[in-house]
Amino acid sequence: MDITYLLVLDAAALIIATVVLSYFFIRDVLKRNNQ
Amino acid sequence: MIELSTIDYAIIAIYFGLLFIIGYFVKGKIHNLTDYFLAGRRLTLPIFVVTLVSTWYGGLLGVGELSFNYGIVNWVTQGVFWYLSYLFFAFFLAKKIRKSNLFTVPDQLERFYDKKSRFVGAIFNFIMVTPAPYIFSIGLVFGILFGLPVWIGVIFASVVIVFYTIRGGFIADIYTDFLQFFLMMLGVALIIPFAISTYGGFDFLTSNLPETHFTFTGTWTTQLILVWGFIAFWTLVDPNFYQRCYATKDSKIPKKGILISIGFWILFDICTTFTGIYAAAASNAGLLVVESPTTAYLSIAGSVLPPVLLGIFLTGLIATIMSTADSFTFLGAMNLSHDIYKKTFRPKASEEKEMLATKIGIIITATFAAILAIFFDSIVAMWYTIGTVGISALLVPILAGFFYKGRKSSLAALLSMLIGSSVSIIWLVHGYMNLDEWGWPTYMYGIEPLYPGLIASFIVFVIVTAIYVRRMK
Repeated sequence: MDITYLLVLDAAALIIATVVLSYFFIRDVLKRNNQ
Repeated sequence: MIELSTIDYAIIAIYFGLLFIIGYFVKGKIHNLTDYFLAGRRLTLPIFVVTLVSTWYGGLLGVGELSFNYGIVNWVTQGVFWYLSYLFFAFFLAKKIRKSNLFTVPDQLERFYDKKSRFVGAIFNFIMVTPAPYIFSIGLVFGILFGLPVWIGVIFASVVIVFYTIRGGFIADIYTDFLQFFLMMLGVALIIPFAISTYGGFDFLTSNLPETHFTFTGTWTTQLILVWGFIAFWTLVDPNFYQRCYATKDSKIPKKGILISIGFWILFDICTTFTGIYAAAASNAGLLVVESPTTAYLSIAGSVLPPVLLGIFLTGLIATIMSTADSFTFLGAMNLSHDIYKKTFRPKASEEKEMLATKIGIIITATFAAILAIFFDSIVAMWYTIGTVGISALLVPILAGFFYKGRKSSLAALLSMLIGSSVSIIWLVHGYMNLDEWGWPTYMYGIEPLYPGLIASFIVFVIVTAIYVRRMK
């Protein structure tokens, strides 16, 4: 597979993973603050 | 200096404003010392991952320097070796650390040995967590962005960090880590597609750089590569890892969290390594002016990113460094207040006094780091020196504490820390007094200082323990 394509895939995966983790982080912080 | 639009400056200013706001509002959430030190030991998995990932990755400019100069070998020395070390930590240490329910790394030394070992360990720990390389990096970034001398950035970063860590402790650290985590991941991921569209794909890199930029060893000797492998053992005695493990809600979170974090680090490291390589290729092709390898990321960002995204990238870069600098500052202060003030000199000090001592410790740690940052002029050299001395002192007694099941000798721990670190310091000093024609230190017998330091530490520990065990019989 072309390495250029893999690099773009890597960057995209990083953005998606960041958004997903951020969602769970905010959810847990809100829960924590409401306790 | 790179050209920034008003909106880019505004994004950077908003970021610093948010840090102040977090520092201001989070104070009300501190009710006791455990809140201040460990956020009440209530970290969930996502919170653990966010704070570990963002804190751990602070040496962005150093990584830029290495990948620009040497290529893929950066990924081996600053990535692969570390992943192995994280895996070891996750599978063999994380649970034990959480279950011990302590606060710091020197706490473990007292648990395994005695108070003197804690005291000596705390001093080495303090050296290891100096935020100097990171505060220095901020100074460099400010120099490039605003045309200011390094020391102004150094002082500004120190003041901001001191403000919010004093007010909010570890909770402020976690909240600012989230902001920094989001910005650093986004910033680093954005630059790759823009570099590809500006300069071309992988072929552009191979046609403008020597082959050694694309091999796993580059132009490095095996010994130098392996020494970074040993420096990756840093993880096993790293106070950030310990603090975050202590702070989780239960003992299963640290292992799972470290495994997820490794995934983030792999994706992130590939982006950063290739950004440095793109900067080197573009510079060789005459398409980019890079003033210094250390600031290669800034140069390439200024060249390929449009306004707004450039602001996000630069803020992400600053955030990456700040998230590490603040945690290190706080841990250094915990060393001073918890390990030295409370546990060594004032065992009866109240929680309020210990908290006050921590706040004073934050100011001392930041001041010490700022002085050191103005004194050194290479981030990589700073890491290398601190890592070499700290690991030579702490690795053997800490690992022996966790894994050696026989009788433990406090004298063995103490002497192993002192002699191991002394040997590596002598080796380092000798090297720096004998620079080669390129200004690199030439070490005795061509051996990197970490090896003799670790070997001395290990031998002393084994011999003294053996004598102690024989006497006890």
